[in-house]
Amino acid sequence: MAEAGIFDGLVVSSIRAATPLIYVLLGECLTQRVGRINLGVEGQMLVGAAAGYGVAAASGNPWLGLLAGAVVGSVLSLVYAVLTVPARANQFASGLAVWMLGFGLSAYVGAGLVGQHVEGFTPLANGFTPTMVLALLLVPCIGLWLYTTRTGLAWRAVGESPDVARAAGVQPALVIVLGIAAGGLLSGLGGAALSVDYTRTWAEGMSGGRGLVAVGLVIVARWNPWWTLPAALLFGCAEAMSLRMQAAHSAIPAHLLHTLPYLASLAVFAIACVRLRDSGAPAALKNVLER
Amino acid sequence: MTLPRTLRPLALTALLALSAHAAQAATIGYIYVGPEKDNGYNTSMDNGRRFVEKSLPGTKTLHVENIPETAEVEKVMERMIKSGATIIFATSYGYLDYAISLGKKYPKVAFLHAGGLKTGDNVGTYWANSDDAMYLAGMAAGAVSKTGKLGFIAAFPIPQVVRSINAFTLGAQAMNTKATTSVVWTGGWLQPAKEAEAANSLIDAGNDVIGEQVDSPITIAQTAEKRGIHVVGKDVDVSSFAPQSVLTGASWNWGPTMLKLVKEIQAGTWKPSHVRGDLKDGTVVLDKFGPAVPANAQKAILAKKDEILKDKFVVWSGPLKAQDGKELLPAGKPMGMEMLESMQFFVQGVNGTIK
Repeated sequence: MAEAGIFDGLVVSSIRAATPLIYVLLGECLTQRVGRINLGVEGQMLVGAAAGYGVAAASGNPWLGLLAGAVVGSVLSLVYAVLTVPARANQFASGLAVWMLGFGLSAYVGAGLVGQHVEGFTPLANGFTPTMVLALLLVPCIGLWLYTTRTGLAWRAVGESPDVARAAGVQPALVIVLGIAAGGLLSGLGGAALSVDYTRTWAEGMSGGRGLVAVGLVIVARWNPWWTLPAALLFGCAEAMSLRMQAAHSAIPAHLLHTLPYLASLAVFAIACVRLRDSGAPAALKNVLER
Repeated sequence: MTLPRTLRPLALTALLALSAHAAQAATIGYIYVGPEKDNGYNTSMDNGRRFVEKSLPGTKTLHVENIPETAEVEKVMERMIKSGATIIFATSYGYLDYAISLGKKYPKVAFLHAGGLKTGDNVGTYWANSDDAMYLAGMAAGAVSKTGKLGFIAAFPIPQVVRSINAFTLGAQAMNTKATTSVVWTGGWLQPAKEAEAANSLIDAGNDVIGEQVDSPITIAQTAEKRGIHVVGKDVDVSSFAPQSVLTGASWNWGPTMLKLVKEIQAGTWKPSHVRGDLKDGTVVLDKFGPAVPANAQKAILAKKDEILKDKFVVWSGPLKAQDGKELLPAGKPMGMEMLESMQFFVQGVNGTIK
């Protein structure tokens, strides 16, 4: 038998590890496209993971779990929407508040869920699961929608200039709330994919910073839904490699290997910032960042 | 208790206020570092609590989960004492210093700590050696593996974990001299996403049995089951999460030890010491075999277990070679306490780094 190499199955592994992140990254990309940076995605992921796990365990149906995660994620994101749209609170402070709220709520609900059995999805061919396929399908769907439809144009217009959009007959406040809710829906879905399919368990704070990584990776993806796929895969591949190198008896200390996904993201981020003067950021977002 | 960290002290106060009415009955407090239902380490401690409560009618137990190994545990213990707890089980390694300092402040309360190497006037410790059971579980892994390649997913390279990995490997080699173990560290006691990918990485690399020593075996056991390879459990029987793929496991049975200590304390005969159990006294249990372990392997494993119980076989004795082939112990020489309890080396056949 040929010796299994470090790269055997790496593609599937990378997609598997990247899947929760793809959802969150797509969601945060849409939110930022309408001019909002929502640090609360981390908390939205956690409530999505806890709710998805609870519903999947109680109903025995993983699809219902994903649905519950998406619903609960969007509901929590509406807190951020209320804070930043009608109340005009600081975006970063509001995001942090939603993150903490999500962490506390999910820990409270989740503590009662530990140790329950979840009927996960039956794997499809080659180790793919339905959540992986759905994530890969969502990327072109959202990409095409944003760049080729009228509503997609309206969302992009709001992100560039709410005033111009308003003059063109679009209600910026409504679009911004929808953009935030879409981010909430997708981050909740990503959290549920993490708990119901990927790990089949719940643990306090189990998203492990993936939500915050998504906020940063949106910059690497240049606010373009199409680019969220390679950006998320970069992280997923680095995470898979950090464990594969150990399984392949690498002499590099494990502590260093665990920083690999974050180092890789940071490196690409730094290159993207230096090389690309025009970052592709929506103009309304630049106001938030540079004010 | 299912409450976020900030609310836990409040809820505990309320609980304790209510319990003050029943001050006559003995009250025992238990503190866990993780969720009581993790199906791993904390569940094993909670099973012990349930055993004590059932065996001593009239005894009340309090328990709080998810308490970090920081000054917070001191506050939790103090609240338990103020509400009448006279015995405290501090079940996580990092609670030791807090138990010792509180022991001085509350001389009438008995503190029992899991695995510590220090005692006080009213602070004793309890622990058990699970290496024998890990060796036997490793035998099952070595017998069932077709590739001879075993994986082990672990949190941190502390001596307890390193001992498990080595014992597991030595057991596997007893059944298949060419068996090797590849170690993957997750860098945390509860890291489900990393545990899932660690298991997948090991399986992709051709390992067909996975051992583990993390807080909760749920993710690893289910990943093994899903991918059709085998898993060896630790702390609590994992068969409900991996009915087809489980081989066996090394589980804790803390109940009798805890009960004995509680009875001694209540009778006034207790002297703080290091109480240590093992496979022989039943504090450590070899889980029942899964369907994949062939009958002849089961027979060989049970025969070896019998030798261990009769002191005819000692896991930690020479000949023993280190990872790089250097001799650690000559044939027939048993390993000293110091070397065993501070183990920071891998035996020959383990692939991985400790640092």
